[in-house]
Amino acid sequence: MSIATLTKKILHAALFYEIIDAMKVTFRHMFHRPITFQYPREQRTIPDAHRGALGLLRYDDGRERCVGCDLCEAACPSHCIKVVSEEDTTRPLQRYASEFYIDVTKCVFCGYCVEACPVNALAMTKMYEYSTHDKRTLLFDKKRLYDIGERHLDDAKKYLYAHNQEKNAEESREYRYYFPQSVLKSTQPPPKHLS
Amino acid sequence: MGLKPAANPDVEAATIELNIDGKTVTAKDGVSLYDVISSTGKVIPAMCYHYTFDPFGSCGMCLVMQEGKKAPVRSCTAKATAGMMIRTEGEDLFLARKKAVEKHLSVHPLDCPVCDADGHCELQDMAFQHGVTNLANAKQKFIPEDTRSPVLDFNMNRCIACAECINVCKDVLMIDALQFMKKGGFNQVVPKGDLPLSCEFCGDCLAVCPVGAITNKFSKYLYKPWQMKKTTTTCNYCGDGCQMYLETKDAEVIRVTSPLSWKNKWGDRSETAKGHGGLCVRGRFGFEYLDGKTRLKQPLVREGNQLVEKPWLEAMHQVVDRFTEMKRKHGADAIAGLITARCTNEELYLFQKLMRTVFGSNHLDSSARYGHMNFVRASKHAVGLGRTPNDWEDLTKAKAVLLIGSNITETNPLTAVRIKEAIRVYKAQVVTLDSAITNMAKLASHPFLIKPGTEGLVIDGLVKATIEQDLVDEETTTKHPKAFAALKAAVAGLSLEQISAHTGLSIDAFKEIAAIFAEAPRSIILCAEGIVRRTNGYQNVLKLIDLAWITGKLGQPGCGVNTVTEEPNEQGAVDMGVAPEFLPGQAGFGDPAARDRFAKAWDVSLPTAKAGANLVEILKRCRSGQIKALYVIGENPLATLPASMEVRAALERLELLVVQDPFLTETGRQAHFVLPACTYAEKDGTFTNLEGRVLRVRQAMDPIGESLPDWHIMTALANAMGSQWEYQSANDIQTEIMKLLPGYYNLGQPRKVTPAPEQYLANDYASEVTARYRTTPGAGESTRPFALMMGQVLMHSGKMSAEAPGLIKIAPNTGKLRMNAQDMERLGLKDGTKIRLTSERGSLQLGVQPDLSIAPGTCFFPEHFNEPPVKDLMTVTVDVTTGVPSFKHTWVSIARA
Repeated sequence: MSIATLTKKILHAALFYEIIDAMKVTFRHMFHRPITFQYPREQRTIPDAHRGALGLLRYDDGRERCVGCDLCEAACPSHCIKVVSEEDTTRPLQRYASEFYIDVTKCVFCGYCVEACPVNALAMTKMYEYSTHDKRTLLFDKKRLYDIGERHLDDAKKYLYAHNQEKNAEESREYRYYFPQSVLKSTQPPPKHLS
Repeated sequence: MGLKPAANPDVEAATIELNIDGKTVTAKDGVSLYDVISSTGKVIPAMCYHYTFDPFGSCGMCLVMQEGKKAPVRSCTAKATAGMMIRTEGEDLFLARKKAVEKHLSVHPLDCPVCDADGHCELQDMAFQHGVTNLANAKQKFIPEDTRSPVLDFNMNRCIACAECINVCKDVLMIDALQFMKKGGFNQVVPKGDLPLSCEFCGDCLAVCPVGAITNKFSKYLYKPWQMKKTTTTCNYCGDGCQMYLETKDAEVIRVTSPLSWKNKWGDRSETAKGHGGLCVRGRFGFEYLDGKTRLKQPLVREGNQLVEKPWLEAMHQVVDRFTEMKRKHGADAIAGLITARCTNEELYLFQKLMRTVFGSNHLDSSARYGHMNFVRASKHAVGLGRTPNDWEDLTKAKAVLLIGSNITETNPLTAVRIKEAIRVYKAQVVTLDSAITNMAKLASHPFLIKPGTEGLVIDGLVKATIEQDLVDEETTTKHPKAFAALKAAVAGLSLEQISAHTGLSIDAFKEIAAIFAEAPRSIILCAEGIVRRTNGYQNVLKLIDLAWITGKLGQPGCGVNTVTEEPNEQGAVDMGVAPEFLPGQAGFGDPAARDRFAKAWDVSLPTAKAGANLVEILKRCRSGQIKALYVIGENPLATLPASMEVRAALERLELLVVQDPFLTETGRQAHFVLPACTYAEKDGTFTNLEGRVLRVRQAMDPIGESLPDWHIMTALANAMGSQWEYQSANDIQTEIMKLLPGYYNLGQPRKVTPAPEQYLANDYASEVTARYRTTPGAGESTRPFALMMGQVLMHSGKMSAEAPGLIKIAPNTGKLRMNAQDMERLGLKDGTKIRLTSERGSLQLGVQPDLSIAPGTCFFPEHFNEPPVKDLMTVTVDVTTGVPSFKHTWVSIARA
């Protein structure tokens, strides 16, 4: 070890060089905006394309969009969706989901289900807070999913828009499937037993 | 295979040569071009084609280029001719096919997400294969759905007018319930006459529909094809043993599908002789009882007047204690057992082993005793063969079918389809002899209506007519001159005039039938409930064997005397030795060699050879108090036998009645213990069908509730009573059966058997035959004017189908007596009028309804329902030889109430 290095070491030790160096960083950051924030009290702004909790949506007139086609279930890579479908006895030809479950603990938030949905009944929201004492409450049922959809309707719509799923109908016809409402307009009088 | 399959299977068609895609191919003359191409292994898309019927040519997908023609030709409707140059691939053909798909799609609603066919749709597959993404001018049909039928919904928006449903209904099933009708500017499939669909509801139209135009009401919108587990299993409604796919989702049975579907349309037409792969209404729509609400989920134990749910361990301990006590106190002979022929072969085998080795009793019987035993015993006695000698292929290719006492389209619909194919393709002459106007009679070349209860006399007449007309086969009869002389002498006393007067069949008819039967190269006799479930069933089967013998048909390929069975495993029950007279493999219970063999294999001493009571005897001994304990598996004698058998009294006298059943039956309600058993969908095993084919039953779902398979319960019972049974699965039992009965399973193929009547004819035939033809005509007549018959209807099977809500919805218990419309008019009755029905056994009041299938002078009530208890009006006669109780026919008088 040379004398110069030794002297430098002694000087550094005597003048607390490392501490000054470290404090320099500390003091410099006093003039920055903080990067961390006080999470529960401060909320982060989340982009529209964020993939958070899933919710089910209704049409503007309050009808359920979901037709119970099970395509989300088929698209789900982690098998966390279960749809039980039935015929709507009050409206002939209408299929609907009588039960709908999403196991959020299994969900990988890939958004495939939303993409698969032919009627845009599913959407992802910015909601991500569902910590609980009881894991069983994380199996979202149909009612809970519609609640989420209702409460976060704006976010859900923004999500669909951000993912190019619900622009104006004509424009999106090119890449979106639209469900034909064939029974609503019938060219013939219905059979006697139906009228 | 082919446009028109050769009507005569004995004649080989000429061969031709043609060129397909540069390769020379040889084919049979008269075959469609499509079939020739598909036989080379190439698959051309086709949406309206199915090999089971003639090509229709509406979809425009099977296009090929033929040299010398400018436009592509449809290969399905084009006949293959010698020297054709065919190209099946190429850009131009692809585009032409794409155009055809687009044409179909342009009027298709594209409601795939909600359509039941989504993922199992040929139009979807074709659109994907041909890359159809844009439709220039699509329009909608806007046709409301036809939901009038109780079974099928017709959504004609989705229809592509391929006519597969119409063709399969008309050609294969010969029911012809569907048609095209132009409505609202579109060709639509509608039920005949645009009325609500009312047919046999076999659902084959549903199976062949390549899109979702026809949907199943019982599973509509409940599923997507990819969600379900598909299990290949055997139907347990009748002895046909149809293969079917049970599709389940979790613990729920969603639907039943058949091997017949648009997906496997590329088949060999000649294969349909063994079955076209379809199902009947019971198989396809009667599945809902499997996971029904009425299933038993817990063992029940009697406490006072009530049956109380108890855990398995407790119930089983009590059952074992009680059985041990019974055996110790009253001896082995005080225990008896009954089992249903809806159990698997393995369970039937285990049941007789349990009865004979653990309980040490030979009082056991199965539901084969209700009729099938008559056939088995007669056939075994005469030709040494305890089953039917012919399979479905023989039946299809027969030239003459003598159908006697059988409403076959109702009892065994798929065997009936074989006869229909015999009529349609092989131009067979079919003679039906029945006291009802059956559906088969409408299709038969020689339908005859006979007076009720005269089936035996008709056979007498046929034997007499055959001998009188000298239609006798010299070669066979000269081998046994003594036997033939005895037969001749026996029938000498009969007069055709007298028989004709009693049966209502003209002498000419007798002569004609005898001639048809004797002269056809392959003739088959099929006798069913009208013979084996009626009085003298045993003797009547023997008479039919006589008829086959003197015409030289016995032992000829494709000829024989056959029967059909009502329950899926009646043949298996007999083969597994569930009868006091048989050991497994139909070895006689008294046969010392067989006794030795089984005693050694089971390491026990068998009950004495003389011991053994059959069904009727068991009930009698229960009543007299000789039998103290009865173990009933799936049987329901209380609801089946008439009140005059005093079954209730017999059961009440018992000290221990254990019933093991998936449902709480009438018999179960009398029991001290009810053990919940599994249905066929929850266990593995095999059924032996009426051809003698051993068919697999596979587990499709977990047992409902705490129910267990019957073999499991029996093994537990045996082990608790001190045996060392080490069966872990049905497979272990199968291994044991395979060792004891080598060749029984035979890889699921019917074993070829040849009847051997020599010994029977050479020995005591002469002494027997005299008594056989000594019927006293007129003895069956009664002062009461109407013949009341009970029997099976198409939608039901035994008492089990009453648990299937779907079948009950299609055919509910009307509680009405079915009568001929003329009779009703004569008596001044209208639909629903209350009448009083009186027989020797009593009388009851019920409504009437007209039924087109009922002959004048008869009335009918389905045997599946006991509301009102019409069965109690029946008199029971027990066959002296076989102990078969017959109680399906009696004489009644009808008066307005």
